[in-house]
Amino acid sequence: MSAPRLVSNRTSQQALSNSDYTWEYEYYEYGPVSFEGLKAHKYSIVIGFWVGLAVFVIFMFFVLTLLTKTGAPHQDNTEPSEKRFRMNSFVADFGRPLESERVFSHQIAEESRSLFHFCINEVEHLDKGKQSHRGMGLESNTHFQEVPRSSGRFEEDLNCLTKFNIPNFVNTEQNSSLGEDELLISERPIILESKSVMQSSHRILD
Amino acid sequence: ENISDFSLNITDCTQVVVPEEVFFTVAAVGILENLLVLIAVIRNKNLHLPMYFFICSLAISDMLGSLYKTLENIFIILCKMGYLTRRGDFEKKLDDAMDSMFILSLLGSIFSLLAIAADRYITIFYALRYHNIMTLRRALVILAIIWTFCAGSSIAIALFSYEVATVIPFTILFPLMMFFILCLYVHMFLLARSHAKKIAALPTSAVHQRTNMKGAITLTIFLGVFLCCWAPFVLHILLARFCPHNPYCACYMSIFHVNGTLIMCNAIIDPMIYAFRSPELRSTFKKMFCCTR
Repeated sequence: MSAPRLVSNRTSQQALSNSDYTWEYEYYEYGPVSFEGLKAHKYSIVIGFWVGLAVFVIFMFFVLTLLTKTGAPHQDNTEPSEKRFRMNSFVADFGRPLESERVFSHQIAEESRSLFHFCINEVEHLDKGKQSHRGMGLESNTHFQEVPRSSGRFEEDLNCLTKFNIPNFVNTEQNSSLGEDELLISERPIILESKSVMQSSHRILD
Repeated sequence: ENISDFSLNITDCTQVVVPEEVFFTVAAVGILENLLVLIAVIRNKNLHLPMYFFICSLAISDMLGSLYKTLENIFIILCKMGYLTRRGDFEKKLDDAMDSMFILSLLGSIFSLLAIAADRYITIFYALRYHNIMTLRRALVILAIIWTFCAGSSIAIALFSYEVATVIPFTILFPLMMFFILCLYVHMFLLARSHAKKIAALPTSAVHQRTNMKGAITLTIFLGVFLCCWAPFVLHILLARFCPHNPYCACYMSIFHVNGTLIMCNAIIDPMIYAFRSPELRSTFKKMFCCTR
């Protein structure tokens, strides 16, 4: 250990002589230390350190929970992103009846406990019989987990991103760059596979 | 393990000894757990992603830390039994090598946690461009750079540990990284919270306040665990450097083995809070164990 060697170099009389190196696992030499006349308790550093650490962690926790309850610094960005969000929810499914749109938006709201946009593939248009549901490094705002995705579909993900209308819940900073992406209207309507969606949202909320 | 006898003359803080069985159990569990994480990520092709590579890097550094402690204990036992001399050159070199292994583990842990936090940050704030920013190749390059730097610094620190110049940066690095990781996660947390508020504003959703509490708890766990496991040891190094003769400092340093055990506990807890939260990894584990049965 670097710690014991430092101490033994300083306290022992042999300065840097290698031949006198002794392999001790005591980590320090008690000899010169005198424990007489201590004003405070001898373990005061230990106690002080752990109490301080506990206080700091609890304080951090309270600060985080307080942040939950008070106002958000991002609220000035709420309006444009809300509009964007609503547009994204409803823009893709023109041909569908109103009910399914509401279901769509409801499901979007449910899933959007995660911070990332989903790239949801519809069964008939991609792979017959293969249901694929992917997210990009999904992490929920409650748990830092990840929804599984297959890495073999890396290129498909990219295509998916450019072609599909992706509801973007994330951003507050890159408004301009995302403008074009959001206005992209996909040729293929996004149809949610309710089963896979429910599964994934359960996984996230879990 | 109390080798020098004259220390018993004065009423003092005797070295707090952790029983060897506890030590070895904790170390073995830590090594096994992290090994499992590594195996799971290697076996499952779905997990060949930058995020999991960073988690693997954390698992490797945790394993190194536990391995170091185990080897050290084994050598103490061998020494006690007389198989190894205390003044040999070979033992000194071995000791140096093990010191550098430990420092490598510490630095590797810090940088891996930083990489994980940065990766999550990019995933959140640069979501659309994440695939372009964090490609697999780039992740591997970043890991290579991190580990080369850690290996170099650990060897340098182990060789030059008697210089003050090595201890100071070493101990400054720790709070600095902690603070940086804290900032990243707090920023992510703030976004998550504002996002939840936006969802709550929608007519069709019902977001519970509980979900934000869970976020706070998760964050506190991440940072609290790291702090509680590593800070005691870092403080020990500082005290050993600056006030080895002070009785208060000496009393703090007497709990060195407990601090070492805490570091190994960190190796056990880290996979639970980082790796096992991923459903894909959990299902890989289940498959691995179900197949062996």
